[in-house]
Amino acid sequence: MVLGNYKSVISARAADAEILKRSQDGGIVTQLFAYALEEGIIDGAIVAGPGDEPWKPEPVVATTRAELLAARGTRYTISPNMMLIKEATRSYGLDKVGIVGTPCQMQALRKAQLYPMAMRKVPDKIALAIGIFCMENFPYQGLEAIVEDHCNVKMESADKMDIGKGKFSVYTERGAISQIPLKATHKYEQPGCHVCLDYVANLADVSTGSVGSPDGWSTVFVRTKNGENVWSKAIDAGYFETKDIASVKPGLDLVTKLATDKIDKNKKSVEARATFGVNKGLRNPYI
Amino acid sequence: MSKVVEVSPTTRHEGHTKLVLKVNDEGIIERGDWLSLTPVRGIEKLAIGKSMHQAPKISSRVCGICPIAHTLAGIEAMEGSIGCEIPDDAYLLRIILQCANRLSSHALHNILSLPDMYLPGTDTHINPFTSEEPVRSVALRIQRLREIGQTVGEIVGGEPIRPSNPRIGGMYKNITPRAKSKLFDLAKEGSELAREHMEFMITVFKDWENRQTASVASGYEVEKNDKFGFHDQGYMAVDPLYASSNLDAEPMWFPERWTEVRPWDWYMGEQEITLDDPNYPNHATTPAGNKAWPQMEACTAVPMYDGQPIEVGPRARLAKFRNYDKKGAMGLQIARQMEYPDCLYSMIEAIDAIDTSGSVIADEIPQGDGSLGWAANEAPRGTDVHLAKVKDGRVQWYSLLVPTTWNFPVCSRALEGAPWQLAEVIVRAYDPCVSCATHMMVVDEEKKVVAQKLIQ
Ligand SMILES: Cc1cc2nc3c(=O)[nH]c(=O)nc-3n(C[C@H](O)[C@H](O)[C@H](O)COP(=O)(O)OP(=O)(O)OC[C@H]3O[C@@H](n4cnc5c(N)ncnc54)[C@H](O)[C@@H]3O)c2cc1C
Ligand code: SF4
Repeated sequence: MVLGNYKSVISARAADAEILKRSQDGGIVTQLFAYALEEGIIDGAIVAGPGDEPWKPEPVVATTRAELLAARGTRYTISPNMMLIKEATRSYGLDKVGIVGTPCQMQALRKAQLYPMAMRKVPDKIALAIGIFCMENFPYQGLEAIVEDHCNVKMESADKMDIGKGKFSVYTERGAISQIPLKATHKYEQPGCHVCLDYVANLADVSTGSVGSPDGWSTVFVRTKNGENVWSKAIDAGYFETKDIASVKPGLDLVTKLATDKIDKNKKSVEARATFGVNKGLRNPYI
Repeated sequence: MSKVVEVSPTTRHEGHTKLVLKVNDEGIIERGDWLSLTPVRGIEKLAIGKSMHQAPKISSRVCGICPIAHTLAGIEAMEGSIGCEIPDDAYLLRIILQCANRLSSHALHNILSLPDMYLPGTDTHINPFTSEEPVRSVALRIQRLREIGQTVGEIVGGEPIRPSNPRIGGMYKNITPRAKSKLFDLAKEGSELAREHMEFMITVFKDWENRQTASVASGYEVEKNDKFGFHDQGYMAVDPLYASSNLDAEPMWFPERWTEVRPWDWYMGEQEITLDDPNYPNHATTPAGNKAWPQMEACTAVPMYDGQPIEVGPRARLAKFRNYDKKGAMGLQIARQMEYPDCLYSMIEAIDAIDTSGSVIADEIPQGDGSLGWAANEAPRGTDVHLAKVKDGRVQWYSLLVPTTWNFPVCSRALEGAPWQLAEVIVRAYDPCVSCATHMMVVDEEKKVVAQKLIQ
C-alpha cells in the first residue's frame, strides 16, 4: 500500500511541445490543468507561480493558460498552495477549483473537504486535485545554501533544479551543470518532512512524478473516479503520449522501493517521538 | 384589577428575552415590558487597549445574523476617529456587502414571522416547514434568496458570517472580473425572486391585518385591537441603504442628541405573576406566584434620542426617506418587505460601478489622536451606531448602540392596547436581535458600570 489506491498507472508526457519546453518532467500537471481549463472542468487552478525572489514560489490562482505555463517546473522549497483554497472561492469567484500540491498539501485539501473548519463552501468546489511525488522539501534559506554554497551557482543563474539518482543537480542558463550528492542536503530538509508517510500523493485525483519513467517522461497514477474521468477524456482528446509502465525503465519497482524507504524511515521518526523525553514524548498527529 | 402575565422565553427571534405584561380584566395590555435576558458579554470594555484592526472583528462576533453591520460600523467608527478616507472601489464593495446582508437577514426573518400568519383567505397558519404547496415553494424561494445573499457576502466580504475582507482603510482584496460577473448573475436572479416574494409577503401581512381575530402560531384565537402595535415614538434613520459617519460632509446622526438611561429608571419594579396560561403555544406562560423584576433583570441600557425612545429599522428608513406612514406591527412588517427590491437594485448598481482593477486600500492609514469618531450603519434591523476613540492605533474607548437596543423601549410601548396573547406578534415585527442588543456593560450618566450589579 505504499503507493496508495489507484485505478491505473502509466508513463506519459504532454503532447504540447510548448508546455514541454519548460516543464519539470512530462509536463503532466500543466497539460492536464490546461486541458481542464479549456474544457470547463475547472475555472482556475492554484499553482506555484513566480515569486519576488528567484526560485521562491508564490501561490497564485491561474485562470489562463499563460499563468499555468508561468508556473511550470519544480521549486524545491515551500509553496503554501493551500493558502488560497478559500480565497479562490471568494474574491476570485471560482466554482470549480483545481489545485496542485505535494502529498501533504493533498492531505490538507482532503481534510478541509471532510472537516471544513472555517472552510465554508469550499468542499464542494474542488474539481481537480493533482498531486506531485515528494521525498522531502527545503526551506528557502536551505535551498539557497544548497544552490549557492554547495553547488556554487547564483540562484538567478539557475535554469532548472532536479533531484534524482542520488544527486541534487542545478542546470544554469549558460549550460553548466553542478551536482552534489544528496547526502550533503539532508541537514537542510525541513524537519516537518521527517514524519511524512506519503510519497506519491495518495490522496490526489491524479498524482505524478519523475521517478519510474525516463527523462522527459512522468509516472502517472490515476486514483479517483473524478481523476479517471478527466484523464481518460484528455487521453481521448490526444493531449498526452503514453507508454505502458511495464515497458519503461526503471518502472514501478523503483517507485515502490523509494516509497517504502521514505515511509519506513519516517515511521521510525514518528515512533521515536513517543519516547523523545524522559518519561514523556512529543505529539503524534496520526493518533 | 390588573394582573401580571409573563411570557418567558419569547420565541422565533434572535436571542433571549421575555415579556412582562400588566393586563386588564379583558387581557388587554396596560403596560408591557419587553426585556433582554441575554448575558452581558462586555465587548466594549474588552476592546479597550486592543488594536483598531482587531476591535471591529471582535464586535462582528456580537451577532451572526448581522455581523456585516457590526464589522462595517466598527471599522468605519475607527476610520472616523483616525480620519481615514477609503477608495471608491472599497466603498462599492462595502455597499454590496451591506445589500447582501440585508437580503439574507430579511429573508430569514420571513421564516420567523410566517408561523403567526395565515394562508391568505383561510384560517390555516403557515408552517414554513411543510412539504405542501403553496408554502413549499415560498420556503424554497426564501432559502434561495438567503443563499444568494450569503454567496454575495462570501465573494465580496470573504465570508458572509464575520466578513474577513473589510479592514481599516478599505478592503483586503478587490474582486476579479469573473467574480463580478458571478455577482451580476446572482443579483439578477435575486431581484426577480425578491419582487415576487415581496408581493407574496405583503399579501400575507395585509390579510392578517384585516382579520378580526388571530392567534400566535397555532394557538387559540383572540380578538385583535384596531391600533395593533401602534406607538407615538418617533423614527430615526441615517440613510435608506447604507450609512453615515462623522467624516460625511453632512452627517446624519448627532452624538449630542443621544442619551442613555439605566433599565432601573425605565422598566417596572418587582412584580408578582398573577395570571398564567398553561395552553399558551410552544410552552405555558410563567406559573402564577412567581416573581419578575424587569428593572433588575433587563440586560440592556435604554438609549434615547432627543430624550425619547425612538424606533429604528425598515419603517424608520422608509418614513424618513420615502414618506412611508403606515403604523402598527403590520406597517413595520410591510416596510421590511418593501426593502427587498431596493436592496437588489442597489447591489446591481454597485456591482456595475466596480472597477475590478481599482485600489481598495487607502494609501495612508493614520494612527489616530484620540478624537471621537462614529459611524451609523443601517443594519437590517435599523441604525447601528458605533462610537470610538483611537490613539496610536489602539482603541481608547468604544461604544455600540445597536438597533434592537433602540427598539426595546419603543416596542414595549407599542404593546399597549393589544391582547397579551398577541404580544409576541408585535415583538417579532421588530425582528429583534437580542445578542446584538446585549453586547455591552450598561453605563449610567456618571459612567459608572451599572450592569455589574447583574454580573457580580
Ligand atoms: C519539494 C518537491 C519534491 C519532489 N520530490 C520528488 C521525488 O522525490 N520524486 C519524484 O518523482 N518527483 C518529485 N517531485 C515532483 C517533480 O519534481 C515534478 O514536480 C512533477 O514530476 C511534475 O512535473 P510536471 O512536468 O508534470 O509538472 P510541470 O508541468 O512542470 O508543473 C509543475 C507544477 O508543480 C507546481 N510546483 C512547483 N513547485 C512546487 C512546490 N514547491 N510546491 C507545490 N507545487 C509546486 C507548479 O506550480 C506546477 O504547476 C517533487 C516536487 C517537489 C515540489
Ligand atoms: S515530504 Fe511530505 S511533508 Fe515534506 S513537503 Fe513532501 S509531502 Fe510535504
